[in-house]
Amino acid sequence: MDNKNKIKLFLVDDDAVYLKLLEIEFFQNADFSIETFSTGEKCIESLSHNPDVIILDYKLDDIDRNAMNGIETLDKIKAFNSEIPVVMLSAQDRIEVAINCMHHKAFDYIVKSETAFIRLQHTITNIFHTQKIEKALNWYMEKM
Amino acid sequence: MESTRAHESQYTRSLIEASLDPLVTINNKGKITDMNDALTNITGLKREMLRGTNFSDYFTEPQKAREVYQDVFANGSVTDSPLTFRHKNRQLTDVLFNGSVYKNSKGNILGAVVVARDTSEQKMATEFRIANKELAFQNDEKEKRAEELVIANKELAFQNDEKGKRADELIIANKELAFQNDEKEKRAEELIIANKELAFQNDEKEKRAAELIIANYARSLIEASLDPILTINTSGKITDMNAATLYITGLSRKKITGSDFFDHFTEPEKARKVYQQVFARGSVADSPFTLRRKDGKLINVLFNGSVYKDDRGDVVGVVIVARDITIQTKFEEELKAAIVFAELATEIAEEAKTKAETATVLAENAVKSKQQFLSNMSHEIRTPMNAIIGFTKVLLKNELSARQKEYLTAIKMSGDALIVLINDILDLAKVDAGKMTFEKIPFKLALSISAMLHLFETKIQEKNLKLVKEYDLEIPEVLIGDPVRLHQIILNLVSNAVKFTFQGEITVKVQLIDEDDENVRIEFSVTDTGIGIEKNKLKKIFENFQQASSGTSRLYGGTGLGLAIVKQLIEPQGGSICVKSKIDKGSTFSFILPFRKTNAEAEMEAELVEPDATITDVKVLVVEDIALNQLLMKTLLDDFGFECDIASNGELAIEKLKTKSYDIILMDLQMPVMNGFEATEYIRDNMDSEIPIIALTADVTTVDLTKCMAVGMNDYIAKPVDERLLYSKIVGFVKKTVQLNDPEENKNPEDIKVKYTDLDYLNRRTKSNPALMMEMISLYLEQTPVLISNMKKGLRERDWDRLYKAVHKMMSSFSIMGISSDFENMAKQVQEYAGSHIKSEGIPDLVLKLENVCVQACEELKEEFNTLKNSN
Repeated sequence: MDNKNKIKLFLVDDDAVYLKLLEIEFFQNADFSIETFSTGEKCIESLSHNPDVIILDYKLDDIDRNAMNGIETLDKIKAFNSEIPVVMLSAQDRIEVAINCMHHKAFDYIVKSETAFIRLQHTITNIFHTQKIEKALNWYMEKM
Repeated sequence: MESTRAHESQYTRSLIEASLDPLVTINNKGKITDMNDALTNITGLKREMLRGTNFSDYFTEPQKAREVYQDVFANGSVTDSPLTFRHKNRQLTDVLFNGSVYKNSKGNILGAVVVARDTSEQKMATEFRIANKELAFQNDEKEKRAEELVIANKELAFQNDEKGKRADELIIANKELAFQNDEKEKRAEELIIANKELAFQNDEKEKRAAELIIANYARSLIEASLDPILTINTSGKITDMNAATLYITGLSRKKITGSDFFDHFTEPEKARKVYQQVFARGSVADSPFTLRRKDGKLINVLFNGSVYKDDRGDVVGVVIVARDITIQTKFEEELKAAIVFAELATEIAEEAKTKAETATVLAENAVKSKQQFLSNMSHEIRTPMNAIIGFTKVLLKNELSARQKEYLTAIKMSGDALIVLINDILDLAKVDAGKMTFEKIPFKLALSISAMLHLFETKIQEKNLKLVKEYDLEIPEVLIGDPVRLHQIILNLVSNAVKFTFQGEITVKVQLIDEDDENVRIEFSVTDTGIGIEKNKLKKIFENFQQASSGTSRLYGGTGLGLAIVKQLIEPQGGSICVKSKIDKGSTFSFILPFRKTNAEAEMEAELVEPDATITDVKVLVVEDIALNQLLMKTLLDDFGFECDIASNGELAIEKLKTKSYDIILMDLQMPVMNGFEATEYIRDNMDSEIPIIALTADVTTVDLTKCMAVGMNDYIAKPVDERLLYSKIVGFVKKTVQLNDPEENKNPEDIKVKYTDLDYLNRRTKSNPALMMEMISLYLEQTPVLISNMKKGLRERDWDRLYKAVHKMMSSFSIMGISSDFENMAKQVQEYAGSHIKSEGIPDLVLKLENVCVQACEELKEEFNTLKNSN
C-alpha cells in the first residue's frame, strides 16, 4: 500500500522497550507509517514530516535528566501546528497529570498498562472520527 | 586196437582244446610244454611262441605265478589261486588257478597241468576275493577244502595207480609180444617173410604204443583237473567224465556213464535249454546251475560248455567244464545277508535318529512355551498388581485408623513381595531365553552404591543392625557398565544379609582389585553376622529355587531365586561370585566385576529428589489406555501437585499436544490405535517437539529400552510405578528444561527457584514472531543496566527524583517481560518513598531486591534471546 494513504504516526518515548513494543503493535494491527523518537527534541525536528497523530510519553527525562520533558514537547508541537493531535502516554495514573496534559491541548491521556494499546487504537479511531466531524461541521459552517 | 587208441588220443585232445578255460602243462622248470586254444586266446600269443617259454612271464605278478607252480610241484596240487594274465595287447584277465602234477606210467612227475578260469567277467568274483580277504574264517573253509583235495588227490593217486597197473599190464602184454617175437625170431629163419611182416607189425605196434602214451598223457591231464569235466552225447547222456565229476556228484563212474545229464540238476529244464544252446551256438560260458549230489547236498556250479566234433567235423557231443562255486555262493549269500543286515541296522539307526530329533524339537518347544508362558503370566499378573499396589499406596496416605493402616500395609508388603517374585521369574526366563543383555553406560559407582544402601536404612534400623560401608577411593568416579543390574545384584545380596541377620552388622565393601589403561576390576563384598550356611549347601544356593535349607523359606520367606539371579547377572558380565560362610557366624558373598574406564560424564540418575514444594505447576500429559492405570497416574500426579491430562492412546495425545503445551509426557508403550513408539516418533519428527517423554513400561527388556531410545524417548519408568522415582524423574526433566533457560538459578540456590520472566505477554503481542521478540529483548537488555545504575545512584546520592524516575521506567517494562506484579508493587513502593522524599529504612532493601530481579531477568532474557537466535 502506498505510504501516502497510510496514517503517519509519531511515537515518542525514552523507554526503548516500550517504544519498540508500541511500534510492533501498530505495525501488526493497522496500516500505519511509523516514525519513532527517543526524545522530544528529535520529534520536534521531524515535525516537517507532517504526522497525522503523535503519541507522546509524559516522562521523557527519566534517563537523561536534562532532556525536554513531555509537556514541553507537547507545547512545541502545538506551537508548530496546533492541528496535530497528540495523545499523551504515561505510567502515571495520577489525575493531576492527566488534567495538566489536557490543559496543554493533548487530545487524550492514556495510562501505560496492558490495555494501553487497545485504548490507543480507540483514541486514534476517535481522532479521525472527530476530525471528520470537524471537517463536516466546517464545511456546513462555510455553506451557511 | 590201434585205431581205437588213436581215436581216443584224438578225442581227449579235442576235449582239452574245446575247453574255454586255459589248460597249460608246464615242466618242473616252469617252462610251458603244452597248452590249449584258450591259453593262446588269453595271452594273444601263438602256440609256437608259448611253448618252451617261462610260464610265469604271462602274469602281472610273475613271482607269485612262480610260487604257485612251485606250490603245485611241492604239494601235488593247488586250487583257486588268483592270478592275472597279461595279454599281448596289455589287456589283463583275472583268473583262478587250479593246478596239479601229472605223472608218467611209472609214477614219475612229468610236469604240472594248470587249469585257469577266467574270472574277469564274473563281477562277483572281485567281491568274493574281497570277501575272501575280509573274512578270515574262509581260510578254515579252504583248509577243509584242501583236506578234501588231499583225499581227492589220494583218489587220483589211486586212479593213477590203477592206470599204472593197466600200463604195467600193457607192458606185460608187450613183454608177451616180445616173447612172441622171440618165438617168432626163433621161427624167423623159417618165416623170414613172416618176420618181416612181424617187424612191420612191431613197428606199427610201437607207433600205437607211442600213441597210447600220448592218449594216456591227455587223459591224465583231464583227470588231474579239479574242475569236473564231462562229455555228453547229442541225446543228453553222459558219455565220459573225470575224477572231479565223480567227486562232486558222489557217484561212481559206472553210475554216471550213460545217465541223463539233466537229472543231476535241480532245474533239469533249464539245464536242457543251456545244453541246447551249446549245440545252437557251439559254446556257452559261465552258466550257473545247482548240482544235486547223491546225498542230496546241493552244489552251485558254473558251466562252460562247448561242442566237440569227430574227424569229419560232425558234432558228436558236448564237453562241459563245471566249477564248484559252493563256497563262493556261500560267501555271496553271506555277503548279501551282511548287506541286508547292515541296511537294516542303518535303517534302525536312522529311525532312532529321527526319533531323537523329534524328541529334541519337542523338548525345545516345551522349553520355549514354558518361557513364553512364564513371561506372559508374569506380565499379566503385573498389570493388576500395578493397580493393587498403586492404590494401596494412595489409600495409605489418607487418614486411617491404626487397624486399617495395618491391613493396608500388609496388602502393600504382600504386593511388593509378589512383584519382586514376578520380576525374578521374568529375569530368569530372560536368562534362559538368552535375552538378558547388559547396558554399557557411564555411571557413578559411589553414588549408585550409596543411593542403593540408603534403601535399606530403615530396615536395618528396625532390626537394630549396623551398616558399615567401605568404599575404595581409588576407584575412578565414572565407570561404564550396567548400573541397573549392579543395583539388582547388590540389592539381592544386601537384602539376604538383612533377612538372615538378627544382631551385629552388615558390611558392604567395594574395592579396586586391579586397573590398567582401559579397564578396572572391582570386588564387591557383602558380609553379615547372620545365621550362616552349611558347608555342603554352599554350592547349591546358586541354583534355581534353592535355599540353604528346605526350612529356610518357612522361617525366612523368599523363593530361592535371588542368588540364582545374582549368579546369572554376574557371570555373563565376565565376573564371578563366591561365598564363604560359617554356621552362626555369618556369611560373606563377594563378586568381582570388570568395568571400562571413561572420561564421559555420568548421567545424573538414581538420585531421588525429595518432594519440593516449590515445584508445582508442572503440566503432565499421561498417555495410557488402561482406565485403572489412568486413575492411578492421575492420583499420583495430583498428590505431587502437578497438573495432569490423560490421553487414551498416541493419537489422542498428539491431538492434545496440538492444543495445549505440556512440560512432560508419560507414555505407555502398548496401546491401541497408536502405540507409544509411533506416537513418540510422530512427536519428534512431525511435530518437531523436544518435550521430555518418559516411557511407562511393564516389561523392562533391554530390547524395548533400545527401541525407546531409538524413537527419541528420554527415559523410562517400570510399572508398578515407584512414586518417588516418578517424582524425581519428572522433576529432573522439568528442572533440566528450566536450567537451560536459567543457569543463574543454580548459582543462588537460596533464592526461590522461580523464573522471573515470562515471555507469554511478549509472545502474544508479537504473535510469536522471533525476530520481533529478539528486538524487544535486546532493547530491554540495553536499557535495563542504565536504569539499575540510575536507581542505585539515586539512592546513594539521595537524589530522590532520579531514583523515582529510574524505578518508574523500570516498572513499565516489567509487565512486558512478564515480571511478576509483586515486583511492580515493590517498585511502586520505592517510587512512593522517593516521591514523598521520606527516608525509609526499607528503601535500600527494596532497591537491592529490584536490582536482583532485574539482573536475573536480564540473564533469563539473554538465554531466551540465544534460544530464539539458535532456533532460527
